[in-house]
Amino acid sequence: MTRAERRWDGLLFVAPFLLLYLLILIYPLLRGVWLSLHSVDLFGDGRFVGLANYARLAADPVFGQSLVNTFLITLMIVPVLTVIALALALALNRATRSAAILRGVFFSSAVLSVTIVTLIWRFVLAPDAGLLGELWTAFGWEPLPFLSAPNLVLPALAITTIWWSLGFPMLLFLAGLQQIPQDMYEAAALDRASKWTTFRRVTLPSLRRTTILVIMLQTAAQLQIFGQSQLLTAGGPSGASRTAVLFLFETAFGRWELGYASAAAEILFLIILAVTLTQYWLTGRAREGEDGR
Amino acid sequence: MMRLLLAVLAALALGSCAQADDKTHIYLQRFFGECGAEYGGRTDVSKAEGECGIVTTLVNKFNAENPDVQVDVNVIAWPGYPQLTAQMAARDPPDLVTMHSGVMSDYAAKGLLEPVEPYLQRAGINAADFTPASRDAVAIKGRAYGLPWDTHGGLYHVNTGLFREAGLMRGGEPILPTSPEEFFAHARQFRERTGKPYLIQSLVGDPAGAARSLYTYMMAQGAPIFPEPDRLRVNTPEGRRVADFFRRLTAEGLGTSNMDTPAAIAAFMNGEGGIYPTGTWMIGQFQEESETPGRPLYRSYAVYPFPHLWGEHVASVGGHAWVVPARERTDKQRQAIARFFRFMAAHNYDWARTGHLPAFAAVVASPRFRALPQRDNIAPLGTIGRSLPGTVQRQSAVEGIVGEEMSAAITGQKSSTRALADADRRVNEFLAELQ
Repeated sequence: MTRAERRWDGLLFVAPFLLLYLLILIYPLLRGVWLSLHSVDLFGDGRFVGLANYARLAADPVFGQSLVNTFLITLMIVPVLTVIALALALALNRATRSAAILRGVFFSSAVLSVTIVTLIWRFVLAPDAGLLGELWTAFGWEPLPFLSAPNLVLPALAITTIWWSLGFPMLLFLAGLQQIPQDMYEAAALDRASKWTTFRRVTLPSLRRTTILVIMLQTAAQLQIFGQSQLLTAGGPSGASRTAVLFLFETAFGRWELGYASAAAEILFLIILAVTLTQYWLTGRAREGEDGR
Repeated sequence: MMRLLLAVLAALALGSCAQADDKTHIYLQRFFGECGAEYGGRTDVSKAEGECGIVTTLVNKFNAENPDVQVDVNVIAWPGYPQLTAQMAARDPPDLVTMHSGVMSDYAAKGLLEPVEPYLQRAGINAADFTPASRDAVAIKGRAYGLPWDTHGGLYHVNTGLFREAGLMRGGEPILPTSPEEFFAHARQFRERTGKPYLIQSLVGDPAGAARSLYTYMMAQGAPIFPEPDRLRVNTPEGRRVADFFRRLTAEGLGTSNMDTPAAIAAFMNGEGGIYPTGTWMIGQFQEESETPGRPLYRSYAVYPFPHLWGEHVASVGGHAWVVPARERTDKQRQAIARFFRFMAAHNYDWARTGHLPAFAAVVASPRFRALPQRDNIAPLGTIGRSLPGTVQRQSAVEGIVGEEMSAAITGQKSSTRALADADRRVNEFLAELQ
């Protein structure tokens, strides 16, 4: 078999995947770009408007506010989620029965649908009859209106999301921890390294790649946050919790403005791409000369 | 051998797609929930309760009484319009759909709904028999686009026990205000004597409630909310008067500001406020509470249309209707749809047990309807009810924006002028883009 024949054979093997990839990912992506250049609803062919949708978005304060909200909530969620998931993984990385049970307990929230999660947290956050409201009242304080005060609503959504999303990053960290060779810890013990030093000099550097993965995955996921905002607050009060994807949903399916919603989707796509690539580039530079796991 | 097996499998697959009987099949899509486990086989409508129970039993009864027709039901999550839109875009819509009157113009403007006069005529239904509110709700440019089934809208649900404590009862009836000044006087008196808010407002995640108050009292003052079908105008002296009124009420602590719908419902049922403005759909649940000894609402419940505060006594209302999406159909299917219309019209009273006001004036006036709890009080809704003009499209999205801005005004997050100006700007911007 010649080299060229081998290459064709290889292509044939990946052809089914490539075909599906082109059909269900690349084609919709390009179609979305094309739609974003049109004024079109869900039924009509529409008319070509060039970059008018993008110009409208640039001047739309509701879209601007939704982007700011999305960045803020991502910043509230990702660092805290990463630290808590790492702490839990460290605490539960042992072969005991109680650790196994607790791993299951902490992962359990991840299997719930967003509808159930928001229902549970509504019972916690509602100021009049919610768990926190009752607690506050028991202490003689005025309950905090988590879902109706503009400055509290994003932290409330962030807490809900952290509780819901904890399971998967914790598992990633656990997998990372279990791949660290035991001899490194033995060497550290021989050097009489303290627990903190061992964590800082052995565990953390060994988890560098896992940490980067968790941060990148969570950043991309939280920039697309939707269900919590739609179900808990409907984007309110006064748009204070409207996220970019909720804006897309309302525009496409409430107002039927498919072209305008597609333009907003393209901007969000570019933002997620830029943030992810920047993180990758920054962590790549910092990693030069080091070898993490 | 393999070929034979494939051929058998293909034949089986194709065979399973075909209708297995010679009935005329009608594909009906509805919201109102799924309760097949409880009502799946029942046909006794008089024993069914709630929207889901009654509509499920009605369809079962229709199928039982019309052996040559089979209504196949697809239940969708409320309100189900994204799914319907996708079905229409795929040119495969159902034959009958439950639709809110405010949404009909979106589909009718695109030619996606059939005008229903031919079906009404075949069914022997005269549009003059509808209540004025129901007739208006399904009319677009002089054509009827649905069989109206009810009128629903905002009502003032009153805790008469607390009203008694506040000294606001006369002859066994709660005294409702007849002017903005009296409203404030009553609300202050209520709070002083009961220590509770006069008005329970659901302002979190519920734009419809705030929009309903604004629409109702702007209509009462004779202010056109849509001077043209594609132009909203709520930032007017009349609109600001309404927004300022509710804003002042909330700022004084006479109305709640941090509740979502479930919290507001729970607060009303637990006797934590005097009035809860919400829709006809809550009458059944509140009435049941009022008939259950030991509950805070026991013997303490009454319900009325929004009080007459300015100008004309009107109320912003909507309605549920049965619509027929445009698609190719056989004459037998059209006949079956007409029979379904006739059946549903004949059972309009049964549907009215849900709390919604019947679409037929004769049913509203009938003694058996009037004998239902609270129905005498809410019957005027059929004549004072007003819909937005049928030519206005995207009414649901408009209500979302107007309600969001009105809530911001009520809670003091924005000034009334800014909130209403933002509502006008946001709505008019997207209405200007309509195809």
